[in-house]
Amino acid sequence: MGREVRDAGRRRDTRAESPGSAPCAPCKGATRAERALSGRGTVTAVAVALRLLLLLAGCKSHDRIVVGAKNFTESDLLAEIVAQQIERRLHLPVERRLHLGGTFVCHQAITAGQIDLYVEYSGTAFTAVLKHPPVADRDSVYRQVTSEYSRQFGLRWLAPFGFDNTFAILVRGTDAERYGLKSIADLRRVAPRWHAGFGYEFLERADGFQGLSRVYGLRFAAPPTAMDLGLTYRALADGKVDVIAGNSTDGQIAALHLVALRDEQHYFPPYEAAPVVRARTLERYPSLAPALEELGGKISDDEMRHLNAAADVEHRDIRTIAQQWLEAHVP
Amino acid sequence: MSLLSFYARNTAELLGLTWQHVYLVAVSTGAAIVVGVPLGIALTRRPAWRAPVLGLANVFQTIPSLALFGFLIPVLGIGAWTAIAALIVYALLPIIRNTYTGIAGVDPAVREAGRGMGMTDGELLRLVELPLAAGVILAGIRVATVVSVGVATIGAAIGAGGLGVYIFRGVATVDDTLIMAGALPAALMALAADGALGLVERRVAWDAK
Repeated sequence: MGREVRDAGRRRDTRAESPGSAPCAPCKGATRAERALSGRGTVTAVAVALRLLLLLAGCKSHDRIVVGAKNFTESDLLAEIVAQQIERRLHLPVERRLHLGGTFVCHQAITAGQIDLYVEYSGTAFTAVLKHPPVADRDSVYRQVTSEYSRQFGLRWLAPFGFDNTFAILVRGTDAERYGLKSIADLRRVAPRWHAGFGYEFLERADGFQGLSRVYGLRFAAPPTAMDLGLTYRALADGKVDVIAGNSTDGQIAALHLVALRDEQHYFPPYEAAPVVRARTLERYPSLAPALEELGGKISDDEMRHLNAAADVEHRDIRTIAQQWLEAHVP
Repeated sequence: MSLLSFYARNTAELLGLTWQHVYLVAVSTGAAIVVGVPLGIALTRRPAWRAPVLGLANVFQTIPSLALFGFLIPVLGIGAWTAIAALIVYALLPIIRNTYTGIAGVDPAVREAGRGMGMTDGELLRLVELPLAAGVILAGIRVATVVSVGVATIGAAIGAGGLGVYIFRGVATVDDTLIMAGALPAALMALAADGALGLVERRVAWDAK
C-alpha cells in the first residue's frame, strides 16, 4: 500500500497520500495487485484481487476476540458476560461461538486456536481434561489445574467468578420427602427399585457415573439410560426416570421442584468457574486480563442460580441478563 | 485406536446396537406404510383432505427431532417407543405424497376403460390403480426407509439405543473413532436398504408392464 501512495503522489497530486497512509501490516498483497492491474491480463488481475480479498479478510479476523461456550445455559450466560465486558473495556469486536459441544469440544477448539477463550470449571479440567482421579485434595485443584494448563496447553486460567457448580444428583421433591432422601448415600436404599437417566458426558467422564456408583455403592434396577442432558430434566419431572445428574446452579432445579442430594463423601471435586484464555491472546491484548479479573469473585452460588433461572425459567434474553448484571455489579 | 480393533473388542455391543437400529427402522417404516398408504389412497378419493393432510405431514417434517422428543416424553416416556413414534412422523410425508401422486397420475383413459368393464371402485383400485402406481409408491417407501436409517441415530438422545449411541458418545468425548464406529455401519445400512428396495422397485415396475 505504501507503494500505491508513493506512485500516486508522484503521478498526480500529494493529497492522495492521506487516505492510504494507514496500512494494515499483513496485507502485503496490495502492491502486487496494483502491478497486475496495470500490466497483465484480466485473469491475473481477478486472481490477485481474490487473494487480496482473502488477505483483507485475514486482517479483519485478527482484530477480534472469539468467545466460546459449552452447550448449556450457564456457559452461554457467562460467555455473554465475558464478551460484553471485553466490548465495554477493550472496544474490540467479539465473535460469539456459543453452545458448542461439551467440555471436550471446547477444549479442542481452544487448543486449536478456533476460539480465544471460554469459561471452564476447575474440577472438570482436573478430571475430564487432565485425567486425574476424581477424589483429591479439594484446595489444590485450582492451583494444579492452572499450572498444568499453562505448561501443557499454553492456556491461562484467570480469576474464578466465585461460585461452585458441582454435579447435582437430583430426585423429585416428592420422592425426597417420601423416602427421606438427603444425601447421595440415602439413594442406596431405593436404588434397586429405581431407574436412572444420565447425559453421555456424565456416563463417560472419570468423575461421572462409574466412580459415583462405586464410591456410594449404588446399584440401580437397570443400567442407567443414556440420553441427551437437556431431556433428562424433563424425563425426571415427568416421572420417566427417578434420578439424574444435573448442575447444582441450574435454574430448573427449583422451578421443577427437584432436590439435590448432598455429596457427603466429597466424591465430586470443586467446580469453580473461571475464564480460560489462550496465552497468545493475552499477550496480544494486554488489557484483556485486567478487564476479566474485574469479574473475579463477583458471582455467588445463589447469584448464579438466579441468573440461570432468569434465562431458563423466565425465558429472558441472555444478552439483556448479561448487560443488566454487568451494569449493576461491574460499573 | 483404529476402527477395526475397536470393533474386534466390542463386537457384541456393535451387533446389539445394529440390531436395535434395524428394529427402530423396521418397526417405524412398517407402521408408516400401514398408515401412510391408505391415507394417500384416501386423499385421491377425497380431494378436499389433500391440502390439510399433506400440510400437516409437511409441518411434522420440519420439527427438529430433539424438540419432538421433548413433546413426546410426557406422553410416551423414554426409550424405543418414543423414537419409533418420531420416526413414523418423519416417514409419513414421502409415503403419503408418493401414494397420492402415483394414483393421481394413472391415465384417466385407463381408469375409464376399467369402469367401462364394470369394475367397482375397489376392483379399480386393486386391479388397475395400485399396480400402475406401485413403482412411485415404492419409491416413496424407499426414500422414507433411507431417511429413517439416518434419523434413527438421534434415538440415542432418548435412550432408544441404536448406532447413534456411538455417535453421541464420540461427540461428547471428541473421539473420532467412536463417531465413525456409529456413522459407518449406519451409512452402510442406508445403502443396503436403498439397494434392496431399488431391486424390489424394478421388479414391481417390470411386473406392471
